[in-house]
Amino acid sequence: MAARLTVDCLGLSFQNPVLVASGTFGYGDEYYDIMPFSRLGGLVTKTVTAAPRQGNPPPRVVETDSGMLNSIGLANVGLEVFIREKLPWIVQHAGGARVVVNFAGFSVDEFIGVGAGLAGCRGIDALEVNLGCPNVKAGSIHFGADPATVREVIAGLRGEVGLPLVAKLTPNVADIAALAEVAVEAGADALSLINTLPGMKIDVKKRKPALGMAFGGLSGPALRPVGVACVYKVYRRLQEMGAGVPVIGIGGIATGPDALEYILAGARLVQVGTASFVNPLAAGQVVAELAAWCENEGIGDLSELVGVAHHGGN
Amino acid sequence: MIPVFRWVEVSDIRKMARSTYELSFPEPESASKIGPGQFCMVSPAPHTSDVFLPRPFSYYRVDGPGTIRILFRTFGRATRWMAGLAPGSRIGVFGPLGNTFTLAPQARRAILVAGGIGLPPMAMLAGRLDALDEPPEIDLIYGEQAGDRIVDVGSDLPGRVRLHLCSEDGAAGQKGLVTGLFRPLIAGCDSPPAVYCCGPGPMMAALAGLVSSENTALFEVSTEENMACGKGICKGCVIPMTTPDGSVSYRYCCTDGPVFNGFEVKWPHA
Ligand SMILES: Cc1cc2nc3c(=O)[nH]c(=O)nc-3n(C[C@H](O)[C@H](O)[C@H](O)COP(=O)(O)OP(=O)(O)OC[C@H]3O[C@@H](n4cnc5c(N)ncnc54)[C@H](O)[C@@H]3O)c2cc1C
Ligand SMILES: Cc1cc2nc3c(=O)[nH]c(=O)nc-3n(C[C@H](O)[C@H](O)[C@H](O)COP(=O)(O)O)c2cc1C
Ligand code: FES
Repeated sequence: MAARLTVDCLGLSFQNPVLVASGTFGYGDEYYDIMPFSRLGGLVTKTVTAAPRQGNPPPRVVETDSGMLNSIGLANVGLEVFIREKLPWIVQHAGGARVVVNFAGFSVDEFIGVGAGLAGCRGIDALEVNLGCPNVKAGSIHFGADPATVREVIAGLRGEVGLPLVAKLTPNVADIAALAEVAVEAGADALSLINTLPGMKIDVKKRKPALGMAFGGLSGPALRPVGVACVYKVYRRLQEMGAGVPVIGIGGIATGPDALEYILAGARLVQVGTASFVNPLAAGQVVAELAAWCENEGIGDLSELVGVAHHGGN
Repeated sequence: MIPVFRWVEVSDIRKMARSTYELSFPEPESASKIGPGQFCMVSPAPHTSDVFLPRPFSYYRVDGPGTIRILFRTFGRATRWMAGLAPGSRIGVFGPLGNTFTLAPQARRAILVAGGIGLPPMAMLAGRLDALDEPPEIDLIYGEQAGDRIVDVGSDLPGRVRLHLCSEDGAAGQKGLVTGLFRPLIAGCDSPPAVYCCGPGPMMAALAGLVSSENTALFEVSTEENMACGKGICKGCVIPMTTPDGSVSYRYCCTDGPVFNGFEVKWPHA
């Protein structure tokens, strides 16, 4: 019997638990001919901000051991163009996949304004709030690191927006479980974790940082143990709180077993990020490998595995 | 032409000059549709290398029934891994990506300037221009720092293409820089030629200082920037452009380029 990969989350049914992460699959069209996101659980779009952004000076990306650093600086087309030119195409091509729109602001008011602007659009299944892009100097690092601000942003959005709200947390904090708790209390319907970790690479030959902005966000397999630990911690805290809020696991997922680590740690859904750059077919392969694994292990419904690592496995 | 990602087996790898290799692999479908200037992203098969991100390489030659050749030079982790490949090694190839040089140059003469490992797209372009119904006169200037890095490109070029070699150490061709060969050539043109260029940033910036809309019909350059996706997704590969009001505007090397109007690129030293 083929395993059931369908997952219920956020009051929605996802055809499988694998989404593609914000900033790593564009607006869905770039890879569509190669890897149609309609086969996935969902597409999370690149962070959109109120105004268009050019982003940071180059170099913006550099390879590191088992990963990469980026300092893109939230380059995006801005809310107006996104709604007019990008979103309709995405909605039209989504097929069975869910459309999750990721956004950010540079003040609490801007966060709420962008959220409210998106809330009225047809075809969006959920909103993901980028609380932690560590690239932009004056940007959202302040939101994600400070519990009071997280509360203000999420509660403010909750008051304006009827769509499911996913708070995407940064690992660059002392206690991610405490922030998760604040986000849930403020009204988040789910938590996505994690965003990138701050890092730097120095070009020894040139004797200066390899990135134009010096600092960047670390992603890829090197990030996976950090992400799995964060999901594990947050899942446990949510259990203790008695909150049935789902966790979405992100960080270094490139294969079925990678995704299973997150699911066993407590993630209901996962997102594949940097792996798509290495192989644009990666997210589809994660789905196939999950299905094959379940079949092999005699798992009828993948959801049964969520958080199982907390109970000593089998 | 929609790019394809696929695993292929290396057909051949040969050393062509110091630190410089030619790598061939099959490309069954798209070979004939690839344009000069376009590139592919090359990556290792899982668990065969510590290289993580794919790397961009220009197409160098498209051979008869579906074989591609790229030419690369070793600099760091990825190119050193590639130098160790052997026939039968599995690699990931994603392409064709990017735009192409203008093949209707509206000029009677074309001067192509290749600096170092900027040679591959210039060599392919020379062949394509020569194959036009009304081909321009073609000069290919090719310079290296050291003579032992010069790739024997002449034997593969159409007979009508005039090759001008130089090296900074004087060990092969004329001693000096490509700009030294370029000056008399452009001065000798009786109508503005099309100028195409690919090479290190400082070299292209120096060349940009020698051309103007008066003496040049077309000035196109192939640019380079670090890439992650090659497909306009990561927003990593920006090339700064000049704007009329003096502000910076970024274009993406992988999708808007790699070929840009050289008059619009904001050159670091210009
Ligand atoms: C569109 C495009 C087409 C390209 N086509 C070709 C091609 O046909 N053949 C080819 O050999 N390369 C080509 N390159 C460059 C090639 O992608 C890089 O050389 C490669 O990514 C280097 O990876 P690495 O891990 O070996 O070196 P890295 O570890 O990335 O670099 C090691 C050191 O070498 C320096 N370096 C890297 N590349 C170069 C370079 N090209 N020139 C001078 N210094 C360099 C770096 O700054 C660094 O200090 C192209 C690049 C682009 C963007
Ligand atoms: C090039 C790049 C751009 C990214 N842009 C965004 C973004 O705009 N918004 C966001 O919330 N996360 C962004 N991320 C973070 C990813 O969504 C993801 O959280 C992170 O990369 C970890 O997952 P991975 O290891 O699978 O890539 C970006 C990551 C990369 C590598
Ligand atoms: S390499 Fe990703 S946008 Fe150009």
